[in-house]
Amino acid sequence: MNSAFSDPAFWNRLQFAFTVIYHYLFPQLTMGLAWFLVYWKWQALRTGEEKYNQAARFWAKIFGLNFTIGVVTGIPMEFQFGTNWADFTRYSGGVIGQTLAMEGMFAFFLESALVGALIWGEKKLGPRNHFLAAIGVALGSWISGFFIIATNSFMQHPVGYLIAPDGSLGLASLSTFLLNPWALIQFAHNQTASVVTGSFVVASMGAFYTLRNVYPTQAGLYLRAGTFAGLIASLLVAFPTGDQQAKMVGDYQPVTLAAMEGRFVGGEMAGVNVIGQPNVKERRLDNPIVIPGALSFLAYGTFQSYVHGLEEYPENTWPDNIELLYYSFHLMITMGTIFILIMVCANFQRWRGCLDSTRWLLWVLMLSFPFPYIANTLGWMTAELGRQPWLVYDLFQTRDGYSKVVSNGDTIFTLIGFTGLYFVLGLLFLYLVGREIYHGPEDEGSSHHGKESAL
Amino acid sequence: MIETWYGIVSFMLITYVVLDGRNFGVGILHMFVARTPAERRQVVAAIGPLWSWHEVWLLAFGGSLVAVFPRLLASAFAGYYLALFLILWCFILRGVSLEVGGHINDRLWQDFWDFVFAVSSLLLAILFGAALGNLARGVPLDRHGDFSMAFFTDVQTVRGNVGLLDWYTVSIAVFATVMLAAHGATYLALKTEGPVHDRSEFYGKWLWTAIGPFLLIVTAETWFVRPDLFASGVGNPLSWLGGIVILVSAFTLLSGLRDRQEMRAFLGSNFLIIGLLVTGAVTIFPVILYSTLAPENSLTVYSVASSPSSLSTAALWWPFGLILTVCYFIFISRRYYGKVGVCRGNQNHY
Repeated sequence: MNSAFSDPAFWNRLQFAFTVIYHYLFPQLTMGLAWFLVYWKWQALRTGEEKYNQAARFWAKIFGLNFTIGVVTGIPMEFQFGTNWADFTRYSGGVIGQTLAMEGMFAFFLESALVGALIWGEKKLGPRNHFLAAIGVALGSWISGFFIIATNSFMQHPVGYLIAPDGSLGLASLSTFLLNPWALIQFAHNQTASVVTGSFVVASMGAFYTLRNVYPTQAGLYLRAGTFAGLIASLLVAFPTGDQQAKMVGDYQPVTLAAMEGRFVGGEMAGVNVIGQPNVKERRLDNPIVIPGALSFLAYGTFQSYVHGLEEYPENTWPDNIELLYYSFHLMITMGTIFILIMVCANFQRWRGCLDSTRWLLWVLMLSFPFPYIANTLGWMTAELGRQPWLVYDLFQTRDGYSKVVSNGDTIFTLIGFTGLYFVLGLLFLYLVGREIYHGPEDEGSSHHGKESAL
Repeated sequence: MIETWYGIVSFMLITYVVLDGRNFGVGILHMFVARTPAERRQVVAAIGPLWSWHEVWLLAFGGSLVAVFPRLLASAFAGYYLALFLILWCFILRGVSLEVGGHINDRLWQDFWDFVFAVSSLLLAILFGAALGNLARGVPLDRHGDFSMAFFTDVQTVRGNVGLLDWYTVSIAVFATVMLAAHGATYLALKTEGPVHDRSEFYGKWLWTAIGPFLLIVTAETWFVRPDLFASGVGNPLSWLGGIVILVSAFTLLSGLRDRQEMRAFLGSNFLIIGLLVTGAVTIFPVILYSTLAPENSLTVYSVASSPSSLSTAALWWPFGLILTVCYFIFISRRYYGKVGVCRGNQNHY
């Protein structure tokens, strides 16, 4: 009975991974979209043109639906620290609890007080205060993101802690903990990635309406804002933020970088593997296509730099799923590159003034919106799989962190429950968003009266 | 510092119960006080914009518990595993039902979500009530401060290897449910007008009348289950203070109900719940999770606290968070002040 299926760590990890990946599909859009709402509200305030208010109103509805699902799927994340990862909480609660509590006190109260005002309060608040509400919600969502990134960064690169007499962790310095270099770089990388998601979704909607020949004014606004922000964010997510993130992994988790690259043997002139399948048993990459020297250059700045290989490290410190880690990282990079290409094309056509008539590009834009979600998910899988076998890097192993009193039967039961419930939530969400898209941005208050009585 | 943090996390939990408790109560009464689709929209509108703000108190409480009493959270959450996931799923269903119920103006759609809202609120009140009963009665903590509890073992005994549900915890759950329903009715009477207001007033009177004898019964039961609590309660001046709050607020509540002064009745209702919970919190101190197997296995605030530096750091930033929270509270109280009428069949009220 020595299979993975009898190992409680496997089921606890699977449940956390499933619930957190699902949850993060929603905040990544709201964090990106929030600044589009701010931009349109600001334009409306500045120019007084109704089309900007119309855009903000339409996207506020989409935002609201995402926000709701994000809130209800977010609560289980905090609970699971106690239910499924009790020993981890005992060990590190004094540190990671700080940011979890601060997220509630400094971000959630702000967001939940203002989000209703943003979605429903336009008339009552007046244009200026409604604009301020949009800023408040955007700030709240980014502050919330920062505290979660800070929590994760402590697990990736623990700083600012002390070890108490009983062996658990306490906080030595709040500023060191919050200003963890890992947190700053990962925050920049993650937030620009959320803007990539927001931009692609906005641009995709613009392309959809343009291809259908409806709402030309609104579609033009979405295409313009989406492709412009999309180009900037796609570039920033790769350079400098993604580049810095990879360098940081190379500095603090060299064994992880080696596994991400599928690099078993160390050496100078290390290449980037464009294609290839890691064969961990034989310790090689099958069918590789390599750009020589590129990895040395990207990680350490010169082509001659020495890049470590997995074999230089004891096998029990290797990430425990090298294959999935390798594919997550490589697919993320590939998609990120394609995002830049799509957005360069779109901006070039827009600059020439013929984006509206370039149907093939509109099709590409319309169909591309799922991929930033996938790339964001793969980025997080790279971070989390790369951290293994540690829960808190170099301090505490994942297999020591789960709740010892919870049986596999309990965990599998709740995993099944989440699967069912989240499936239904997903259908509900798609149906409601689809309805808003179908009604379109010019159908005032469509969701609340009128047509539906015929349903 | 540990005592201060016990006070702060108790404050956050009690605030949560008082604020979200009204939403549970409204949900429990939803199908009774509102009989037409428009009236149901009115009830949802009375709590609609604020439920998520109330729920954040639970999240802030949970996060703070991880930071200051991590070993309590670890033992309790892992031990109550299945019950906690039932609570989580009910939270998901309640949140979704409130947010999407008004999205489509269709009778079947709204009936379905109104039903989900009512059932999930009822289950949440029962589960939180049972959790409170477990806190008072104790759980089967072993020498390592761990427990893993069945839903029920032997419902007749409240000592030794107990389960989540026995006669004591079930009666506390029923008591809490009735109490929150009464609280919700008092809130609806304050917040609504028309037929919903009249029915809420009616239900509120009857539910509060039932609370009186009920309170005496659960007090006697608690005396039987945990005689030691009474000894420590009598000797503690703070629990006398809690008793005074209970008496004053009960009087305020009753006079408010009699004179149809809705704000006075609602304040009385809030402070009655606060008084009861404060009395409970100071009476169990310093034991925070009592062991039914052996009293020496019990977790005290001193044995679950994180390191002194973690506590003092958290005490530095927490007051700033509280100040901001008070500002938001003033903002939303002003913004959503006043009664909610029968809706025009949509959610454009706010």
